[in-house]
Amino acid sequence: MSATRAAAALVDTRHEYEHLFSIYVPIAIGGFAVIVLAIAYCLLRYRRRPPELAARWHENNRLEGGYALVLAGVVAFLLYLTFTAEHRVDTVSARERPSVTVDVTGSKWEWTFRYRDYGVTRRSGTIGRQLLVVPTGHAVRFNLSTADVIHAFWVPEVRFKRDLIPGATQSVTLVFPDAGTFQGQCAEFCGLRHADMMFSVRAVAPAAFAAWARSGGKAPI
Amino acid sequence: MSATTTAAAPGTRARPGGWVGAATSTDHKRIGLNLGLSSLAFFLLGGVFALLMRSQIAQPNEHFVSDNTYNQLFTMHGSTMIYLFVTPMAIALAIYLVPLQLGATGMSAPRLTLTGFWVWLSGGLIMESSWLTADGAGRAGWFSYTPLSNGTNTPGVGQDLWVMGVLLAAIGMWVMGACVVATIARRRAPGMSLLRMPVFTWTELASMLMVVGAFPALILVMALLFIDRHGGRIFTGFNGTIDYQDLFWFFGHPVVYVMFFPYLGAAAEAIAVGSHKRWFGYTAFVASIMLFAALSVSVWAHHMFVTGGVTNQYFAFTSTALIVPAGIEYFDAIATMVRGSLVLRASMLFAITFFVQFLIGGLTGVFVASPVLDYHVNNSYFVIAHFHYTLFAGSVFGFFAGVYHWFPKVTGALLRERLGKLQLAIMIVGTNMTFFPMFFLGEDGMPRRISRYPTHLGWGTLNLIESVGAGIIALGVLTFLINVFVSLHRRVPSGPDPWLGHTLEWATPSPPPPLNFETSLPPIRSYAPLLDLRQREAEGARS
Repeated sequence: MSATRAAAALVDTRHEYEHLFSIYVPIAIGGFAVIVLAIAYCLLRYRRRPPELAARWHENNRLEGGYALVLAGVVAFLLYLTFTAEHRVDTVSARERPSVTVDVTGSKWEWTFRYRDYGVTRRSGTIGRQLLVVPTGHAVRFNLSTADVIHAFWVPEVRFKRDLIPGATQSVTLVFPDAGTFQGQCAEFCGLRHADMMFSVRAVAPAAFAAWARSGGKAPI
Repeated sequence: MSATTTAAAPGTRARPGGWVGAATSTDHKRIGLNLGLSSLAFFLLGGVFALLMRSQIAQPNEHFVSDNTYNQLFTMHGSTMIYLFVTPMAIALAIYLVPLQLGATGMSAPRLTLTGFWVWLSGGLIMESSWLTADGAGRAGWFSYTPLSNGTNTPGVGQDLWVMGVLLAAIGMWVMGACVVATIARRRAPGMSLLRMPVFTWTELASMLMVVGAFPALILVMALLFIDRHGGRIFTGFNGTIDYQDLFWFFGHPVVYVMFFPYLGAAAEAIAVGSHKRWFGYTAFVASIMLFAALSVSVWAHHMFVTGGVTNQYFAFTSTALIVPAGIEYFDAIATMVRGSLVLRASMLFAITFFVQFLIGGLTGVFVASPVLDYHVNNSYFVIAHFHYTLFAGSVFGFFAGVYHWFPKVTGALLRERLGKLQLAIMIVGTNMTFFPMFFLGEDGMPRRISRYPTHLGWGTLNLIESVGAGIIALGVLTFLINVFVSLHRRVPSGPDPWLGHTLEWATPSPPPPLNFETSLPPIRSYAPLLDLRQREAEGARS
């Protein structure tokens, strides 16, 4: 693998998610606060008055039209952010040349990770509970397929999942910026022991990964 | 059975009384009540399933029920709530109230409506009967994706009964929805033009149009799934798998709004009447509800962002655009209260709570409409929190606003206000304890539909809080049942119009007589004819 590929240039799905989330959250909280304060004001200001005092004001289409335009502006802003991020997550990342390729197969109820370049195969099932090992800071291509029903490959650490649909292999490219052990699991209900379809991801420095892979997955990590 | 049905045909023989009469009556009020009470029974059943599930996952590594039972519980919880409670209850409200609000003497095609009710009920009973089979109830989730739900991966009679139950329930609801649309088209009183229909009736019209347009997709997909399960090989390969999801969600997203609009309409009526002001921005509201309905049939694939089989940007666009009509509705609700005279009865408080809590579901809906955010939270507890804030914290609170508002009309007796407010307080606490922590669990990586989770992930505390909250919700529902029991046994008569209502159902005795109205209707010059009358009288007194 090439050590020259800088991590910063790669699409970091976690970063894209966190960035978008950090804009959506204040907008949502702001919208919630405005509406709740308006309702609270009405409840305090207009309660327990004699019915005759109720105003007959019941329409202002120009005001509502202007308000709808403001909402449309919010929609346009959110879509701009989302489409920009989605372009990077879906399109730009797919163009990256991967340093490692892992063929991921979901089956009831375990994961098989095959490193075709190194002849290494790992299984997440009850026997062994083998880890998915990846290098940090490099593009990792996952070819996702299923042996039976729909499963979904989800690694919460990188804020990304993709379904494994029968009849086709789909590819996604992910980057793991930080070293560590992360939880992963099937996110599409797949029958009796769906809850057991968990796995662990171990992200290690590229040199350690290379040593591990060259040993045929036998070296300790 | 067929003999009694013949006897019930109008004009041939005297109607049978008692149970047979109640079960075969073609009076829209009786059909609506039968459908509503059956749906309420299914609500209690679905609630029991939820409590059993919450008991199993209250703590890590529990063994309260087996994995297989848990899978049946969440499948039947979702199926019961959606196919047998929230959707049919929306139709029940329409069947009971829409003819009254239109000033009509009855429904169009009442016998067809009655047939629809019995087909739906048969479907519901068939679906629940799957519990009695050796392999257990339906257990592939309420949307039963193929290939998991096919004959190879989920064999057995239980899942077959589930498919047939959904199929029949959908046919019954489609028939009833079509009858409501026909009633709105043909049975409006003189003067009741479309743009003078009450707000609630408009929300029902939008909903029933979606039933008519979208439910055939569910009927089709269940029929195909049944054939597929018995060797038909229909949903095969990548495209077959995606086709099932497209067909299912073409029903499945519009139904989300069928489960929302009528309760929005109920809350709107409660707020307008409780503010002594007509609903604000009627024209904009009607336009927005129709825009909402139109958009709702073009957003379905936001359920499929992570499949890699749909055009994510298109569905992100239509889904995010829902902000506009939803925002109009909130504007109208608030502007209705502005400069009104608010009386904070239980119905009004439930309606306001509906708007506040639904808002959490609506705003997080904007999150899951973004593919990049959905890639993480899809199928996690974040989504469970989101749609329970819309369906439970929203629609069910709107439903109770409607119950407190219309119970006197249906029974002639008032519900106890204090018990109503107690129920509201209990349910607000229980609802938010149950569903708010789910946002954090989902963000933290907890997938939906897992029957167990390990200790080391640290999800035990929040799950325990949620399970306690579910128990508190059950106490709230119990308070409601006690309120109904007390109010019916020690009746406080309501009279025809206890709240100074705005719409025609308040211009007739409670409960309304067989042909709805005994005297001639007041003039209909707007969507609030009774308020018009009172305002004209006040002007007359002043001059």
